[in-house]
Amino acid sequence: MIDRLQIRLSALRAQKRCGLAPYVTAGDGGLDTTLAVLRGLDRAGVACVELGLPFSDPVADGPVLQAAAERAIAAGASFDRVLDLIARFRREAPEGEVPIVVMGYANPLLRRGWGASCNALAEAGADGVLIADLPVEEGAPLAAAAEKAGIAAIFFAAPTTADERLAAAVRLSRGFLYAIGRLGVTGARASVDPAQEGFLDRVRAAAGELPVAVGFGLSTAEQVRAVAAHADLAIVGSAMVDRIHRAFTAPGGDSESAARAAEDFARELSKGLETS
Amino acid sequence: MSLSAPTRFGDYGGVFAPETLMAPLEALERAWLAFRGDPAFMSELAALLRDYAGRPTPLTPARRLSAAIGAEVWLKREDLLHTGAHKLNNTLGQALLAKRMGKTKILAETGAGQHGVATATACALLGLECTVYMGAVDAARQRPNLLRMELLGARVIEVEHGQKTLKDAINEAMRAWVADPHESHYLLGSALGPHPFPSIVAEFQQVIGQEARAQILAQAGALPDIAVACVGGGSNAIGLFRGFANDVDVELVGVEAGGEGIAGGRHAARFAGGSPGVLHGAYTYLLQDADGQVRETHSVSAGLDYPAVGPEHAELHDRGRATYPYATDAEALLGFQALAKLEGILPALESAHAVGWVLKEKDKLRRKRVLINVSGRGDKDLDTLRAALGQQNPGGAT
Repeated sequence: MIDRLQIRLSALRAQKRCGLAPYVTAGDGGLDTTLAVLRGLDRAGVACVELGLPFSDPVADGPVLQAAAERAIAAGASFDRVLDLIARFRREAPEGEVPIVVMGYANPLLRRGWGASCNALAEAGADGVLIADLPVEEGAPLAAAAEKAGIAAIFFAAPTTADERLAAAVRLSRGFLYAIGRLGVTGARASVDPAQEGFLDRVRAAAGELPVAVGFGLSTAEQVRAVAAHADLAIVGSAMVDRIHRAFTAPGGDSESAARAAEDFARELSKGLETS
Repeated sequence: MSLSAPTRFGDYGGVFAPETLMAPLEALERAWLAFRGDPAFMSELAALLRDYAGRPTPLTPARRLSAAIGAEVWLKREDLLHTGAHKLNNTLGQALLAKRMGKTKILAETGAGQHGVATATACALLGLECTVYMGAVDAARQRPNLLRMELLGARVIEVEHGQKTLKDAINEAMRAWVADPHESHYLLGSALGPHPFPSIVAEFQQVIGQEARAQILAQAGALPDIAVACVGGGSNAIGLFRGFANDVDVELVGVEAGGEGIAGGRHAARFAGGSPGVLHGAYTYLLQDADGQVRETHSVSAGLDYPAVGPEHAELHDRGRATYPYATDAEALLGFQALAKLEGILPALESAHAVGWVLKEKDKLRRKRVLINVSGRGDKDLDTLRAALGQQNPGGAT
């Protein structure tokens, strides 16, 4: 429900804090592994989880998330099973109030219908949805369906986004606006682009009351710290997915070791966000 | 928002692209709208097409094939265009556009390799840096074209993930464009992808149909009853069809790749076996599973081995203006052999699908005037043909 997301983000803003929002690919290592990972991230106290609904042709993603999506699809991570995963997490950890935002590509949702997809996500216990290949030009049907279902539809701003488009993305977004911190596909980068701060400040000014999440390229506590003053949420995707995958596939690795790796990494990244 | 031209063909098309690509797509649309109305740009392109590419291409009466099937068959000879396929019409146009936009780098995908070769050619001619993404499976089955691209100075990157064919090459080219939208232009090779690509590519290819219409009126004294082209992404077909858009009595037929047959699922027939969905930026007919994942495709011809179809074809299909049957691998091979042995033309395996469909439907086409677009030549397919015909009947029935 959108309230769960908004309450969390309002609290962060009141404390002038940036929260951590890890991204995990649903079904990488099997859905039971993802369930354990969600619990681990919740234990680590993350502000929000971005849960990737795998798609066969993820054009906005770099090699790490492409490979994770391929593994997840091969392991049977259908839309229905991802919904079931969210519902299980909510049912089995009622104290776990971490917001879950589902991130995917247009076709799997369109296949079911925007309305049916948003209703199913809301019913399962998701709080928002963002679609990597759905710019504001095509976004109105999703925004309307999400509003009706009571979840947040989230749109994007990129460094190439002109002010007029940025304003449209702010108008259409609920929950938060996703700022793509740099050009290119998802994936860890060694450094943060120095032009990024100016971009984030421009986005934040345009967003006003609407919180801003920043993603793409963040992989270390240091990088997270560098953007913390300019955003409400810092999203770490490829680096988190990589940690989880390596823990799961290591000798003796299993769902629990993957969950511990996610939890440990989330705690490590959160150190970048502690108020000094 | 500053997209200003219509982004859809009926319900189909649109602009389902990552946000990072929206600014370059808008800039491309602006440049295209400016230059399509600019006489200097259009005459520069026309001069390149005439003096460099070899336009107009001939319209050939296929006398022995006509006699064999009892129809009057005419061949539009895009196989005789420089680089051996219709692809150069579009790459010269887009490369010129990119150059006018101040771009220095060209990115492209290729399936059969014809678009890659045509892109590398245009880049060499106009002094642009060229990178071509090619699925590793396609690179293996179209080796001569890979070598051609490299000889023309292009860098060819083999794509090793997914199905390792055209779809995956497009994914990778789009990712490269997302990373460098300021310096680079993505020179998409078919009438697919997000707006404005389907419109741009169709406009650069419509010269095929415009020429063919004038030629058949001059040579046959009448319009064709049927105009036939193969459909992968659909650029040669839309180029042909647009020439006859207002001739309502001309039946338009786009032939898809039936692969090993529709029932077994190993094919690339989007209209026969697919349903509307979104891939690579456009809402169109798509081969997908119940969960909305894109399905694997199969065709003997790399250029037709693609799970979606250009959105303008989806609209023509739904409106009933064009029909989209298919020819199987085996039927395409028969088409290839017929054109080789009866007319002395080795067509590309893609184009052979159009010929194969005409052979299959010869009873219905009796005494009709049939225009077939021979979209490319078959030199690139010799290895595939040797393997496929070796298993069949090399002497070949026709």
